[in-house]
Amino acid sequence: MKFIYKNSNLLLVLTLVTIIISCDNKLDLEPAQSLDPGVATGSPENIRSILVGMYDEAAHGSAEGPTLEENIYGGSINITSELLANSGDLQWNGTFLEPREFNLKQITTTNTFVRNIWLNGYEVNNQANIVLANLDKFDDADEKNKIEGEAKFLRALTYFDLTRFYGKQYEAGQTNSQLAAPIVLDAVLGPADVTEPLRNTVEEVYNQVINDLTSAISLLPNSNDIFADKYAAQALLARVYLQQGDYQNALNAANEVIQNSGHSLATNFGGAFNNNEDSSEDIFAWQITSQDGENDMNTFWGGSDFGGRSGNPDVEINDPFLTVYNDNNDDRRAFFYDTSRGRATTKWQSEFANIPFIRLAEMYLIRAESNQRLSSSVGAAPLEDINVLRNRANASAFGAITLNDILNERKRELSFEGHAIHDARRLKENIGTLSYDDNTLVLPIPQRETDANPNLEQNPGYN
Amino acid sequence: MKTKRFSLLTLLLVLLMQFSFAQQKTISGTVTDDSGPLPGVNVIIKGTINGTQTDFDGKYTIQANVGDILVFSFVGMTTHQATVGASDIIDVTLETGNVLDEVVVVGFGTQSKRRVTDNIASVSAKEIGEIPTPSIQSTLSGKASGVQITQINGKVEGGIKVRVRGVSTITSSQEPLYVVDGVPLINSDESINNSPINPLVTINPNDIESIDILKDASSAAIYGARGSNGVIIITTKQGRQGKTKVSINSSYGWSEAANTREWLNAAEYVELFTESFANVGGSPDGDFDFFAGGDGWRRGEIDTDWQDLALVNGSTSDYGVSVSGGSEKTRFFISGAYHNTEGIVRGNELDRYSFRANIDHNISEKLRIGSNTNFSKTIIDRISNDNAFATPLQAIAQVPISRPFNDDGTPNNDTTLYYNFLTEEFNGDFQTNIWRITTNLFGEYSLTQDLKFRTDFGYDFNNQVAERFSGSLTESASVGGFGTANAVETERYNLNSYFSYNKLFGDNNYLDVVLGMGFEETRRKLQFLQAQGFPSDDLQTLDSASDIVQGGSNRTTFNFLSYFARATYSIQDKYLLKASLRYDGSSRFGKDNRYGWFPAASAGWIISEEDFLVDSETFSLLKIRGSWGITGNAGIGDFASRSLFQGSPYNQRAALAPTQLGDPSLKWETTTQYDFGIDFGFLNNRITGELDYYVKNTDDILLNEPLPGTSGFPNITRNVGKMENKGLEFVLKTKNIITDHFTWNTSFNIANNKNEVTDLPGGDIILGRSLVRKGETASSFYMIEYAGVNVNNGDAEYYLNTVLPDGSFDRAKTNNPNLAQRVIVGSPYPDLIGGLTNNLTYKDFDLSFTFQGQWGADLYNNGGRFQSANADFYDNQSRDQLNRWQQPGDITNVPQARFGESNGTQHSSRYLQNADFIRLRNMSLGYSLPNSVTEKINVGRIRLYFTGFNLLTFTDYDGYDPESTDDSTAAANNIQVGETFYSAPPARTYTLGLNIDF
Repeated sequence: MKFIYKNSNLLLVLTLVTIIISCDNKLDLEPAQSLDPGVATGSPENIRSILVGMYDEAAHGSAEGPTLEENIYGGSINITSELLANSGDLQWNGTFLEPREFNLKQITTTNTFVRNIWLNGYEVNNQANIVLANLDKFDDADEKNKIEGEAKFLRALTYFDLTRFYGKQYEAGQTNSQLAAPIVLDAVLGPADVTEPLRNTVEEVYNQVINDLTSAISLLPNSNDIFADKYAAQALLARVYLQQGDYQNALNAANEVIQNSGHSLATNFGGAFNNNEDSSEDIFAWQITSQDGENDMNTFWGGSDFGGRSGNPDVEINDPFLTVYNDNNDDRRAFFYDTSRGRATTKWQSEFANIPFIRLAEMYLIRAESNQRLSSSVGAAPLEDINVLRNRANASAFGAITLNDILNERKRELSFEGHAIHDARRLKENIGTLSYDDNTLVLPIPQRETDANPNLEQNPGYN
Repeated sequence: MKTKRFSLLTLLLVLLMQFSFAQQKTISGTVTDDSGPLPGVNVIIKGTINGTQTDFDGKYTIQANVGDILVFSFVGMTTHQATVGASDIIDVTLETGNVLDEVVVVGFGTQSKRRVTDNIASVSAKEIGEIPTPSIQSTLSGKASGVQITQINGKVEGGIKVRVRGVSTITSSQEPLYVVDGVPLINSDESINNSPINPLVTINPNDIESIDILKDASSAAIYGARGSNGVIIITTKQGRQGKTKVSINSSYGWSEAANTREWLNAAEYVELFTESFANVGGSPDGDFDFFAGGDGWRRGEIDTDWQDLALVNGSTSDYGVSVSGGSEKTRFFISGAYHNTEGIVRGNELDRYSFRANIDHNISEKLRIGSNTNFSKTIIDRISNDNAFATPLQAIAQVPISRPFNDDGTPNNDTTLYYNFLTEEFNGDFQTNIWRITTNLFGEYSLTQDLKFRTDFGYDFNNQVAERFSGSLTESASVGGFGTANAVETERYNLNSYFSYNKLFGDNNYLDVVLGMGFEETRRKLQFLQAQGFPSDDLQTLDSASDIVQGGSNRTTFNFLSYFARATYSIQDKYLLKASLRYDGSSRFGKDNRYGWFPAASAGWIISEEDFLVDSETFSLLKIRGSWGITGNAGIGDFASRSLFQGSPYNQRAALAPTQLGDPSLKWETTTQYDFGIDFGFLNNRITGELDYYVKNTDDILLNEPLPGTSGFPNITRNVGKMENKGLEFVLKTKNIITDHFTWNTSFNIANNKNEVTDLPGGDIILGRSLVRKGETASSFYMIEYAGVNVNNGDAEYYLNTVLPDGSFDRAKTNNPNLAQRVIVGSPYPDLIGGLTNNLTYKDFDLSFTFQGQWGADLYNNGGRFQSANADFYDNQSRDQLNRWQQPGDITNVPQARFGESNGTQHSSRYLQNADFIRLRNMSLGYSLPNSVTEKINVGRIRLYFTGFNLLTFTDYDGYDPESTDDSTAAANNIQVGETFYSAPPARTYTLGLNIDF
């Protein structure tokens, strides 16, 4: 007792010191909302989840965090194309400066849409590369092929748009050494994988797109629920060939889709749009629900009573556009509604509808145009194809048809669906006083990209 | 849980060990100064925590043994010591002391200011009391040298930025560490709409006794990895032995916006826009008809002052009671208060109920326990952030020929250019409730006369519930109403245990040693839900919604483990030495680099105590000191070093996506700081002051380094940068006049800081208009340079600024902004900040006022592209746009009005202005009833006061306010600094109040 008493202070000190020293392992904490790359790529279920995430990335955008939705295929890419080609048919009422720059053809390198389309494209690309690098995790061959096909489909889609927006038009029959965008095919999972690539040429990017799509066509099943299937890849390929002016191949692809895909036109024109579920005409559509994804088509093209922005609508359709309809009974001529401000297109009226991306109607138009240019009648004569579409829209049938009629029919059928600038440039049409080849019709490489990668050469006309 | 068991075990052991009992006798006496008895003097038995205080007559009694040393101390007087001998009576006379006898809180202890070798700014309750603002940081403006305090905007819950000696990081947190009674506070803004809520708005400023700001590394190094941005130590009021004091405070104030701007009226609007349309070959008449709902605009029938609807008159009220007192064994301080501020922006209001109980009790002579606990509930009516169309300030953009309300009283949303913000209030609700508990439980045991052991257990709990509803008339009309419910709960546990040893060797050689460890863990949980489709605007909770559109929950945890030691040795009270070391680890860093060492050392020499100066009349004080230390910054995300995938669903299917690339070698940011200072005093300390020079070098700055987007990731967090801050601080305090009836003191501080990024591998980082570049100030403004208007054609012009072969800039002008090169045109950080406080007393009146100033900072008005855009778009314009160019020969800075043609409306230095200002920050005039009157009614003191806040601002800046900045990006990143958008000016407040002390 005396010993303890005498040395009490010392004992106390020692005890206290021992207690306070042992907390080290508490510093190992795991995040509750995230996974390690090893775990995320470690099982076929997870790889499949990454693939599904690619659709989300392309339509809505999520790589920078769930609160930053870029809505690329959900709306930005459409409005970029439509406003770039505008020389009076449309009016921009919106307050955002970025689309206004497209409308005025005065695009700055700091334009955030320009930046987001680029960044988002490469996010989808990296996700595809990650999936394709981990196909060995799959035991089931069918599953593996399907996954590979879908990844290649989405990768091809983003490269197609990267070259169409950031590079000059593909000129059929030439070597196309004008610069497009870098092709990056290695997955980046850690900082050591990051590179500073040079821009590849338009020719190289189109080859990459065609390779991916051709491979996808051979791997994908005939139908695949809401995801890309063989005919979606084939339809996209038709679009690619058309853009290149390779009418023979475009014709073959479009014809395959029309004959074998099992899709059919909606019974009336309005039935192809504003659907919560994919319609019979949708070869591929971006999925929107009230809980997931924003329909930015509606945001920009819809009246404010229907969910659109304050421009009511931000993109208004002017009277001059209506002159393209040669028949007043054409349903498509009436597919508009008036807001207190002006005329809005009914195509993007519903706030939570799916976004049709490739419709069967487009395949008819591609087949007709290609046949007309090649003076052939593969699948059907051009006149028949056009009349099928006109019939569906209650427009009077043509008796005879010229190439011009077909091109106008394209405008009547596909207006406001994101084809405008691409059609103008492949058809070498002027936009106002600008030639199809003008520097201001091409998006600049985003400033943040040239700042981060000095190997990238900027497009002419931008600094 | 291991941590709880430790603390319990520790306390138990301490409680069980009481072994000393001894004979005691009662000592009593009177303490006086040269004018009479001194109440409130502390009388303590040296080496113990036994103590008492003198009563109103200066008398005390205390139990002590023969041989004990009694220490008599009082603020502003020289401490006196007396040994207990045979006599039972000890009377003492205290002398007015040196300013060096003040006590300063240094973190895990206190120090006499005389022996401080670090740079610490102290502010007392008297200097910050009675200022009518809900946030304690605002009360410090201009009071501490080198500490810049900016209120982001005029919203009542508005975020406040506190920067100590410049910014020393780029993307990590720039906020200092706040410690209240030993508990590091949770300082995270949980706002659900980007506009930040100041987390410290839940604290009652009247509970504060003193604030000590640790500014240099040597003082802050004891907080190791969190000390880089400075440490603000807040000590709350404690009870003292003696008669129980009751204090009542009540005040009421009126406020208005400190500044308004001039916008076009209806006639001016019509004139300018008609011209703008004419210049591009059109007419706005059709649109005018739309905005005015008819052609009444032609006859001037409608002229709406939208600004007047957005900025309204506000008020503040404060009611509080505090009771404090104690006996020899127990001391307490209890307070309750209610505060209300109605903001100067429509729809913004804050209510705060707070309660505090600080108790400490001597269980025995050697053992003392205590607790400081604060509960508060804050209810805030909130409004949208500056970038939302629903924010009230957006109203300045509305067209003056639109009416704000329809005939039936509902807000007009049919003919307005933008969404009418009045609908939010009319048809919506946005409320946030914050429930906060901060408590500290401590036990202190004196092992011997010189050695103490103390353990502190702190707990900070912050629970915020936010609910927002927007009805069928708002922007959510198309979905039938939209609602959000969001709950965030953050808890912080912290345990500090340490030994402290104080020994007097010989006559006046003191040794102070502290040795201990600390563990802190923070846990956050969040749940939220959003839904739409409400059957009625009167049903505003999500139970009634038809469609749940988004919801989620998440949680995160992070912790710190540290060991620290500090020794202070002063020789003959003249030569001072100090050294400290801290070893910190955190879960936030990768396994490879989990811990860091943070050493510090400082030294000082009180030259005025040397024989050759000790009797000098001129130099009553001369002390030089120097310090060096290394601190860290751990203010980044919880898992920034890891590559991560997250869930990202598509069409109700589960999916994964990569969200972050991580660098496994991520480590601390370290700041090494040197400080050299001189403390001086002349004429018997009639004039005192400090002069400091410091250099702060920050290494391994954590940066979201932009990556080529082709990698699939926009950036990665890395330790890549180096930054330097250098500056000079000067403090001067003078007692100008001291007579019986009139006194006048002045306190002046001014500080200069120069910031430079000294290394940035990977090159420039550019975000918006902000540039981080090697060799320049961080976040420099980087944009094309506006060159004014072409006299011949009214085009807006820019300087090319391309680099010529000889290295100079090409100053030719162009009207195409795409051809102009961006250059550095300014900096958001001031070169000089300063404050001037005057205190005057005349008989029973007292007056004090503080001026605050900043020079050298610029402010970029991001909203200028819409607000002052020479009628480029329908937005109402600032009146200066009437100076637009109209015909060849016009010399002006406003380009020709050309509707829709973007003439001069790109981002450029046209919207960048110098933001120098001097503000009369606060002024207080008070009258205390004379003692003769108060004694008759048995009251200690009655004081009436008038206080003004933000009374005057002198500035050339023509926007709303030279300090108010965009709150939608304020919380988002630390690189885009110095931009304002539709940001509200601060409030100017006039308050009348009454203090009664019993």
